[in-house]
Amino acid sequence: MSDRSLTVAIASGKGGTGKSCVAASLMVSIPGLLAADADVEEPNLSILLGAEPYASSLVETPWPVIDSGKCDRCGECVRACRFGALYMFGKAFPSPNDLCHGCGVCSMVCPRDAISETGRPVGEIRLCRAGEMTLFEGRLKVGMPNPIPVINATLDAALAEGRDLVIDCPPGTSCPMVAAVREADMVVLVTEPTPFGIADLDLALQVITDLKKPSVVVVNRADLGGSNIDALAEKYGTRVAARLPFSRGVAESYARGKPPASVDDQWKEAMIAIWETAKKTAGR
Amino acid sequence: MKTKEVTIVSGKGGTGKTSITAALAALSPLGIVLCDADVDAPDLEILLHPEPEGDFPFMGMQTAGVDTDRCTGCGKCEDVCRFGAIKVTGGKARVDKTFCEGCSACALVCPVKCIAMEDTRQGTWFRGMTEHGPMVHARLNPGGENSGMLVQLVRKVAKEVAESSGAKMILTDGPPGIACPAISAITGADAALIVTEPTMSGRHDMLRIADLCRRFGTSAAVVLNKADLSSEGSRKIEEACRENGLPLLASIPFILDVVHAVSQARIPSKELATHLEPIWRYLQGM
Repeated sequence: MSDRSLTVAIASGKGGTGKSCVAASLMVSIPGLLAADADVEEPNLSILLGAEPYASSLVETPWPVIDSGKCDRCGECVRACRFGALYMFGKAFPSPNDLCHGCGVCSMVCPRDAISETGRPVGEIRLCRAGEMTLFEGRLKVGMPNPIPVINATLDAALAEGRDLVIDCPPGTSCPMVAAVREADMVVLVTEPTPFGIADLDLALQVITDLKKPSVVVVNRADLGGSNIDALAEKYGTRVAARLPFSRGVAESYARGKPPASVDDQWKEAMIAIWETAKKTAGR
Repeated sequence: MKTKEVTIVSGKGGTGKTSITAALAALSPLGIVLCDADVDAPDLEILLHPEPEGDFPFMGMQTAGVDTDRCTGCGKCEDVCRFGAIKVTGGKARVDKTFCEGCSACALVCPVKCIAMEDTRQGTWFRGMTEHGPMVHARLNPGGENSGMLVQLVRKVAKEVAESSGAKMILTDGPPGIACPAISAITGADAALIVTEPTMSGRHDMLRIADLCRRFGTSAAVVLNKADLSSEGSRKIEEACRENGLPLLASIPFILDVVHAVSQARIPSKELATHLEPIWRYLQGM
């Protein structure tokens, strides 16, 4: 157990609470970490780390190709597709649309073996570097509805490195967030002490509890709002690991794309404490 | 006049979508209907305090269910599932509902036909009445699927409510991001308001959601929030708007009283009134 690498996911229900700030601050406070940006709809971690891409690979999902020489337009595939992703207009051959999930059911049910599959690019993984730091950045192609394949591919690539890993997760509490935290040894939930922050933290804690993941809570802009987050954390058997006050200096450096821990010692100390907690939680 | 719908989006979370939506509602010169389309972090109700008028189950897509008595544990379902949602453990196939996309490949391939597609409740949607008009909102179950379908549902209901009540405009508070729920929230809307902030991340994310709006044929305009937190950042947002033909409707400074109002679950309408005037002028001119 002790030499196994450690994976920590940074998540939140509400967006804009400071996930990427925490992820980037961990990166600059703890030497030797690898980062993955699983917020593939709006990946921002490279901005905060000042990381430049030096290699990339496409993420593809299966996409049906209909052989018009074999297809007799029986419509089995259109009826079997539960996503409405195949249409037959009049006498045309069936054709797929953006609702396709790449599940393979159409080719399974085709009685004439007329459907094969090709890969369709839905995003990319960019390998980025800033000094000694390496980042796997997932980017969903604009217009593609499903971020999950890009999240999974990005995490698989980063996990294959076998190093201590920080994952910047997408906001929300639905399937993209679940996919992003699936391999984490510990989840850091970043919130703010406003009614919005509390309501969304409650939902996020429900998900994390269902997934049986250990967690800690970080309260960002802790002085801007009086809500009692300790009571909520306690209800889910977790605790507040750090409280970081609002600071114009931090906000201004963030605006310029600099992580809080690079300008604020309180952030740096909090990151070191969180990493120690993660190590203990994972039994290292 | 036909009912118009404007969706408030941002790409990046936490830029102020919900506070601005609520303040626009409170300052509306027209009859409006409110719609919260951020179904996995629905916060508009915290500011609007709707009087409940009914809640209804949201079923979403059917998902796979296994009759474990008849399952032989052959594993064909696990082989064919591309989402890692069905696995044989202890000699029986088990479905992880969080990852099941409902494609039915497992049911089709099962040699003993012990897998059936079954209705699965994925969330709840609500109707309510606020001081500023009727409201339709929803909550996806934590970890739930099909947020895009739920977004479509609340928008459809909001439209029906607007048509029956004679409201002239629907204000839809959208989700962050650019994937299925965001696509479902902007498609067919008369306009999208992109709320951004003067940071590098805010600019990056604004351009991605603006690109999405263009692809789906929804005209977009920008509201710059917390503008005075970075003059350089604000200048870059202004530049990006010019370069991309995005009208910049308003630059709102960082107002501590807005934060305090929201902390007390109160709409920051007084604090934002002068700043939101040009936005209402734009919306009324649509």
